[in-house]
Amino acid sequence: MAEAKTKKERIHLKPKMHNKTVRPTRADRIFQICVDVFMVLMLIIILIPLWSTVTLSFRPNTYIGTYLQGMFLAPWDWSFDAYKALLGNNGFLMAFTNSCKILVGGVVCALLLTIPLAYVMSVKSMPGRKALTTIVLIPYIFDVGMIPAYLLVQNIGLMDHLAAVFLPGAISTYNVIIMRQFFDGIPAELKESARIDGCSEVQILLRIVMPLSKAIVMTIGLYYGVSFWNNFFNAMLYIQNSNLNPLPILLRNILMAAGMNEYVEVSAFGNAPIEAIKAASVFMSAIPMVIAYPFIQKYFTKGTLAGAVKG
Amino acid sequence: MKKKDSPELMVPKPNLRREILRHKDVYLLLLIPFVFYIVFKYVPIFNAQIAFKNFRARDGVLGSAWIGLQNFTDFFNSFYFWELLRNTLMYSFGKIIISLPVSIILSIAIYECTHYALRKTVQTLAYLPHFLSWVIMYGVLFALLSPSSGILNDIIKLFGGTPIDFLSSVHAFPWVVLLSDAWKEMGWSAIIFIAALMSIDVSLFEAAMVEGANSWQRVRYITLPAIKPVIVTVLLLKIGTILDAGFNQMYMLYSPQVYSIADIIDTWVYRQGLLNFQFGLATAVGLFKGIIGMILVLVSNKLVSRFNEGSSLF
Repeated sequence: MAEAKTKKERIHLKPKMHNKTVRPTRADRIFQICVDVFMVLMLIIILIPLWSTVTLSFRPNTYIGTYLQGMFLAPWDWSFDAYKALLGNNGFLMAFTNSCKILVGGVVCALLLTIPLAYVMSVKSMPGRKALTTIVLIPYIFDVGMIPAYLLVQNIGLMDHLAAVFLPGAISTYNVIIMRQFFDGIPAELKESARIDGCSEVQILLRIVMPLSKAIVMTIGLYYGVSFWNNFFNAMLYIQNSNLNPLPILLRNILMAAGMNEYVEVSAFGNAPIEAIKAASVFMSAIPMVIAYPFIQKYFTKGTLAGAVKG
Repeated sequence: MKKKDSPELMVPKPNLRREILRHKDVYLLLLIPFVFYIVFKYVPIFNAQIAFKNFRARDGVLGSAWIGLQNFTDFFNSFYFWELLRNTLMYSFGKIIISLPVSIILSIAIYECTHYALRKTVQTLAYLPHFLSWVIMYGVLFALLSPSSGILNDIIKLFGGTPIDFLSSVHAFPWVVLLSDAWKEMGWSAIIFIAALMSIDVSLFEAAMVEGANSWQRVRYITLPAIKPVIVTVLLLKIGTILDAGFNQMYMLYSPQVYSIADIIDTWVYRQGLLNFQFGLATAVGLFKGIIGMILVLVSNKLVSRFNEGSSLF
């Protein structure tokens, strides 16, 4: 019993108060009810749009009720035609593969660039550290917009390469700042003792700093992963070859198509209703985020808190 | 702010060359990210010179002819300048006015909620939409708002109303933008407030309780004052990026019918530059936005550091 009690106390955000002599008044009880009602209301507000999309994707072709009634369609009446059609469609599979390539390539590149830059910025004894910080911060504060960046990608010949989707965003200054703040917080004594033992800076980074930085690397990796998976804009600008289209572009094409005929690539989608195809492709695009989300949630909360409190 | 006890600073007059040699592997580590940074962040700044040029693709950035401030005056004198500025500010301020109170109330409700399962579910689900792209959001909104298949219009029809095409009505569109943004980001923006709430000393609540303050009064006189610095900081940082009204969202949701109320600086730059090939004009507008944005960020950061006594973003 006692154990259960302490567990319950620990999991609440607001610590339990110790003083039990004051009994809750009417106003306190009303307050608690208002909080609960508000939370339930929030739950409904958050769930309705998500639920309506999910149920729409399971709608059978023969369904005749309104869309509102469709939200309460029993799971045993669900049809998986839309998903079968999507997974049997070459265009969709190709876009999914492209998105996966962008995700993996992007996260690897981004971490390999961000970690050394953030680490070097945190080496206090390095001559030129101040200048480096200024050089890193100027483009962050002064944003010249999309056209000059477009010209750059065009001039270095990245057009119609998947790398064009992730390379322009492979170093996010904001992520560098968060990571540097974390590295700054690692005790200097640890690094100093390794240095005395003859470690080079690269070895210190690999052997001392990296093992201590799992949470922040996961967090920043997640930020990058989300930004690359969701990146729609770069793909729209830099990818013209439709075989290289990532998922967000295909998804937009599917969503914008009013009927099946308008979109040639969905013509092989079989007999699922077009609304269901649209909703199913929305769900399929979101699914990697939804699956990865609970695993990384604990990391990002920790990571953002570190960044936020210091910020 | 230099620490006197740091071992590096104890060495009298460090020899610069020796220091550089001692750090040669650090510079080696920096080499690739640094070159990358210069290419992808500084070359665009260099390219921004076409704002002062009559850019033609075959002449390139350097070869095009200088025309001074022509592009800027063209933009300031055009009728859409005020419309773009008005729309951009309307959406930015609207998003602050709606989402800031929502995320503060949500964070307090999450903090005060005593039902573990309810709290955990709301917390987890509220963060989720932040990770969905606006393309996905458009699909979700479509299932909700579409005049033919949206559940909201089903409800309107149920009560005998006529269906509204929310995304192409100039009256409904701004609300769709503001509310969908609030829905997507409220959980994520609440995180910072939850962090602030968790650092409140609980004995303050106990003392107030003994003094006879009820829950409402404790929120009013303890919780809100305790997170006020964070609220002010968030507000100031948001004002620093006031000219970013959300390109991705707007690009996905708008259509020619609602351009008059939906066009913001970024969407206009995109259309003029990359669809109409007016690179010089579009870059000038982007540069104008960049300079104003820079001033705002610097000022707001200064204010944040003054307000929070020394801690600032940079």
